[in-house]
Amino acid sequence: MQRKDAAITVPKPNLKREIVRHKDVYLLLLIPFVFYIVFKYVPIFNAQIAFKDFRARDGVIGSAWIGFQNFQDFFNSFYFWELLRNTLFYSFGKIIISLPVSIILSIAIYECTHYALRKTVQTLAYLPHFLSWVIMYGVLFALLSPSSGILNDIIKLFGGTPIDFLSSVKAFPWVVLLSDAWKEMGWSAIIFIAALMNIDVSLFEAAMVEGANSWQRVRYITLPSIKPVIVTVLLLKIGTILDAGFNQMYMLYSPQVYSVADIIDTWVYRQGLLNFQFGLATAVGLFKGIIGMLLVLVSNRLVSKFSEGSSLF
Amino acid sequence: MKRLLSLLLVALMACTVVFAAGGSEKTTAVNADGTVTINLWYGAAITEAGPIPDDWVGYDILREEHGIDLHLSVLPSNESDQDVRIQAAAAGNSLPDLFMVSRPVLTRLVDQGLVAPVDDYYALMPNRTAQQYDADSIAMSTIDGHSYGFASPGSVAKNEGLLIRKDWLDNLGLEVPTNLDELMEVMIAFTYDDPDGNGKDDTYGYGAYIESDATLKGYPGARLFPILGAFGVDGLWCLEEENLGLNVYKPEFYDAMVYIRQMCEEGVMDPNWLTYKKDDFRAAWKQGRFGIMKEQNAAYAAEANYAPFDANFPDGEWIIVDPPKGPEGLASVGAYDQNYRIYAMSQDAVDAGKAEKICELLEWMSSDEGYFLCGWGQEGVNYVLDENGVPVAGDLGDNAFSGTQGQVYTQLRNMVFYNSDTELASRYPTYTTATSGKTMSALTALREMQSKYWTAAIGSGQMPTPNADVQRYYEQSLAEFLSGQRALTPENWQAFLDQFNAIGGADWNAQGVAYAQENGLVR
Repeated sequence: MQRKDAAITVPKPNLKREIVRHKDVYLLLLIPFVFYIVFKYVPIFNAQIAFKDFRARDGVIGSAWIGFQNFQDFFNSFYFWELLRNTLFYSFGKIIISLPVSIILSIAIYECTHYALRKTVQTLAYLPHFLSWVIMYGVLFALLSPSSGILNDIIKLFGGTPIDFLSSVKAFPWVVLLSDAWKEMGWSAIIFIAALMNIDVSLFEAAMVEGANSWQRVRYITLPSIKPVIVTVLLLKIGTILDAGFNQMYMLYSPQVYSVADIIDTWVYRQGLLNFQFGLATAVGLFKGIIGMLLVLVSNRLVSKFSEGSSLF
Repeated sequence: MKRLLSLLLVALMACTVVFAAGGSEKTTAVNADGTVTINLWYGAAITEAGPIPDDWVGYDILREEHGIDLHLSVLPSNESDQDVRIQAAAAGNSLPDLFMVSRPVLTRLVDQGLVAPVDDYYALMPNRTAQQYDADSIAMSTIDGHSYGFASPGSVAKNEGLLIRKDWLDNLGLEVPTNLDELMEVMIAFTYDDPDGNGKDDTYGYGAYIESDATLKGYPGARLFPILGAFGVDGLWCLEEENLGLNVYKPEFYDAMVYIRQMCEEGVMDPNWLTYKKDDFRAAWKQGRFGIMKEQNAAYAAEANYAPFDANFPDGEWIIVDPPKGPEGLASVGAYDQNYRIYAMSQDAVDAGKAEKICELLEWMSSDEGYFLCGWGQEGVNYVLDENGVPVAGDLGDNAFSGTQGQVYTQLRNMVFYNSDTELASRYPTYTTATSGKTMSALTALREMQSKYWTAAIGSGQMPTPNADVQRYYEQSLAEFLSGQRALTPENWQAFLDQFNAIGGADWNAQGVAYAQENGLVR
């Protein structure tokens, strides 16, 4: 009787107890935690050199304050609007092309019933992600060279005129967007495949009983089920919208395509790092970070407004 | 729990300040064992080989006989990457004690107060100074009246030449071209008349890649110098008194651009020239893609470099020719500067009292012991002396200074070599090619290349460099003219020059002119 009368009390959440109880899991968290502390949070202190005339000998603290001069130098640079245009073009372009390609690839892999074929495609699609852009440049050069590239050989075979893909302002943006999609689609597909694995199989079975074809299953079950993941990936990509891919561009660009290839990061490399203007480089980094954060906040707000439950926070 | 989180937050903030404010490892001058640690960042002599092994006897000699604990670190082989690494270390105020640095970067480090003047230290190295440092080399490291580094002789000057496929000329019954008109005829024949007789349309007249910088090799770069030289505009700067300034302002530069554009329109330029990297270009001539090029002596004639071409084309033959004459009778293989490798001492090293030991290290490197040890390794292990006293590989196999095992012991040789006849004879031996049995020598090629006419542009390497926007505008505009994106007309050219001046080109030119006049670079 006594037990029946006792009030059921919910213990107060205790983080310390939780950590002790799940110490193995929290131990795993330690590595990324330390990584973020050392490489992401500690350097924030140094961001103050964006407002300073940074002199290494005087250090971060000792350098003189110059207000927004570094930001003004960036905004007033001769190519500012062109850099911004190119950066946004490639960032949005990569999202528009790469995201659907990754989703399609993940669905194709998920739907494939032939185990060996599925694993082979999956592995082959991942591989380019692990190649550096130096190697990728060699591959692209072998494919696209106007005199000996395989693609131009095919064009010549059909009587066409070879195209210098890497130095033509019309072709270059497509080379950048498509080569990025090719390189990263397998890797980006991993997260979608993981999301697909979590879909309740009974939904598909029920749909098949009801006579739904493959396209209908994808449209009415698969895509809605992974929508939160798609939104999350999209929001994360928007957060780095001003990172258009330095390594790729640095390897592929050349003076004749600067007008469509020079992005904020390549400019910072030349003007900031090669010319020892670290204050300027930091100012640009800070500018990119703030824009990215604002975009994430706005996008997240919009997502939570129009699709409840899909937002990041 | 709140307390724990608060403590964590405080610790994090403390970490942030400590890490951010720190970063520079200051070493004291004398270690517990009485040695002085010297951190040296050097440019590797053989970039594709590994670093000097830990068992290098030089470490022991320096420690035991000179009290120097030497720590070596290899710089990246690419010049831009070298600059970035040095400047990244500089930004963290953690430059090594002694390091190789380019002149433009040195200028910035001096401005930051990060490197020490070395005027007083030459006297501490009498032997090395006599061997390596003369007035020209000291001028190369002089900024605002003080020498800020030790500039050793770099690669041999005038070590490139204009080469043409003699077998292709013979196959087509053509003579070596002597002027630009004849050159165009030969290039057209090489492109369209199947000079290699393989029945395929797979050859081009001229091959090149963009090899440019902001001091000597202005865009479109050194590989087109023989063409630019025919118009008297090879090199970024003209240092002649009557035409002092950037060559781009000379009317003849426009004429040279028109000629190069014509080469592109005629289809005689290998169309990959705008996208080739150096290695692609070198692979291309070894595959017989073009019949005329400007190439460096060793890249052309050294045994390992010539071997693929020899295997592919046993009957193929390159010859070094005179540069073609232009409309005014001018001709030049290219503009040349004296090449130096500057090693600077960080201000921190001097403040820590290491300057004298650094000088002792450098002086030892130029002693007989250090010179041979750094240049060729150990006698009997990595080299033997021939009857002329020239170090040769002999029968030492892989352990020889030229072998895969032994070459790593010579990674510091560029710090001791000064392009003496002994060094060149050792570096470029005469050999017989494996497939065709030709007798080849990169040294013979070098001497022949040096005998051609070159344009002196001594001091170009010291000239001021433009900011990134000006340099981009300059290079992009010329590239657009050459690739046909922008029509190469007098009106468009003038518009380009006007805009170039407006965004900073005129200031850059004025700074360069003033610098050249103030520093006695005008001829």
